[in-house]
Amino acid sequence: MLFQVKNLVVRYEGAEILKGISLEMEEGEIITLIGNNGAGKTTALRAISGLKSPHSGEILFRGQRIDNLLPQDIVKRGISQVPEGRALFPHMSVSENIRISGFLRNDKQGIKEDLDRIYDSFPVLKERSAQRASTLSGGEQQMLAIAMALMARPTLLLLDEPSTGLSPKMVTEIGRVIYNIHKSGTSVLLVEQNANLALSLAQRGYAIETGKIVLSGFAGELKKSEHVKRAYLGQ
Amino acid sequence: METSLSFVLQAIANGLAMGGLYILVALGLTLILSIMGILQLAHGEIYMIGAYLVYYLTSSLGISLYIAILISMGAMGLIGLVLERGIFRPCKGDFLSVITVAIALTLILRSYAVAQFGLFERTVPKLASGSLVFFGVAVPKDRFVAMLIAAAMSVALYLFLKMTRYGQAMFACAQNPEGARLRGINPDLISPMAMMIGCALAAAGGAIAGSIWMLTPTMGTLPLVKGLIIIVIGGMGSLSGAIVAGIFLGLMDGIIPVFFGPVVTSIAPLVIVVLILLVKPQGLFGHG
Repeated sequence: MLFQVKNLVVRYEGAEILKGISLEMEEGEIITLIGNNGAGKTTALRAISGLKSPHSGEILFRGQRIDNLLPQDIVKRGISQVPEGRALFPHMSVSENIRISGFLRNDKQGIKEDLDRIYDSFPVLKERSAQRASTLSGGEQQMLAIAMALMARPTLLLLDEPSTGLSPKMVTEIGRVIYNIHKSGTSVLLVEQNANLALSLAQRGYAIETGKIVLSGFAGELKKSEHVKRAYLGQ
Repeated sequence: METSLSFVLQAIANGLAMGGLYILVALGLTLILSIMGILQLAHGEIYMIGAYLVYYLTSSLGISLYIAILISMGAMGLIGLVLERGIFRPCKGDFLSVITVAIALTLILRSYAVAQFGLFERTVPKLASGSLVFFGVAVPKDRFVAMLIAAAMSVALYLFLKMTRYGQAMFACAQNPEGARLRGINPDLISPMAMMIGCALAAAGGAIAGSIWMLTPTMGTLPLVKGLIIIVIGGMGSLSGAIVAGIFLGLMDGIIPVFFGPVVTSIAPLVIVVLILLVKPQGLFGHG
């Protein structure tokens, strides 16, 4: 087991946002957590990345508890998040954004290689490498946010609603990027409101509603489920 | 004609030297504000203590001025480290406690300075003796050395922030603290650095002021106020804004008293701040 969340409870100012969720994934899997606005998806990712300490429950990575670690130690262990809303450093250039995302690494050669690889897979970022991050379009910013998370060479990549606010064409493009990242051996946990995209990329999925997992299963089965069709696919 | 030209050149030289000092204070203030989210109201006291330390190092221990300035910068940097760890980090995120603690620190350090150093005005050796002659008018050389030091330190800070990993991490923390944490940048590593650099720059500013003018226990108030004005005019967290605004305020402080007298001098900068903010509420170089 690569990653496991057990009975995770997270509270904000007394309100229980996550009411004991559990999920698990094997190395190399791509899974999704779908749910509507306010269901607790972002809160779950914040707890996994160490930005918010859980009230109770456990988060395990390679069998070791990580729910009491600081964000930088979680990144060091191989979990890297692409946060909601493309949290970039707006007044730094594209290349500075990518370079500083390798902050914890000391292998200069490796950082350079990764930078080249990123420019190969995202040519638009290379074109715009000297531009301020805030001047990029929404889709380009999402590419940059993903590139930044990859600079940590993660074993597990967490993506928080990468399709939000993008044109349908860009959504397809981001979908292709996520598919390729998974193909190259990185495990992916994709959090999405866009269940259509999420269930076509993921192998398995969980549906979260008001802080509880209400459904889980293989992506193909979920797509056929009446509940998912009604609640998430708008059919 | 001769005399008025001499007045103007003197005023410009004085103004640029003052501008340099304001910049040294403002750069530290803006670094601390944008990275730690703390308005360091005791920054002027760090400037003052840094200056007195140079005074004792030169007068009691006979250390040469430039070495003394470096020692004072190092010592104030260490004090910055202690302040960050011991005082500011525990009240992080609580605006009211930060302000209370900073004001308390100001009062304590200033009272200590009055008790320890007395209210006499003291001086530190000159940065340079002699004059440079422009258009037949002699302008004291130490004003130019002061400008050079301020310029060199601003450039060094810029290069550090732009070229090094830790400098870039500081920018990242200032622009998006949570995003920085997600990339593995620990704020508890970056904040003390900001505080150290800020305090060292303030110490250098104080020492230069003490060398050109006088040392008094209240000498930190003026540069603190100017520093805050500079941050507002220049734009929150903007280094180039701080430098431009610093030179501008310094020149005003140098030139206006010569022509308009002390009353206009104290009011003019504030009027200009109001005017600038009416036109550009985010400051000259502020981001949106």
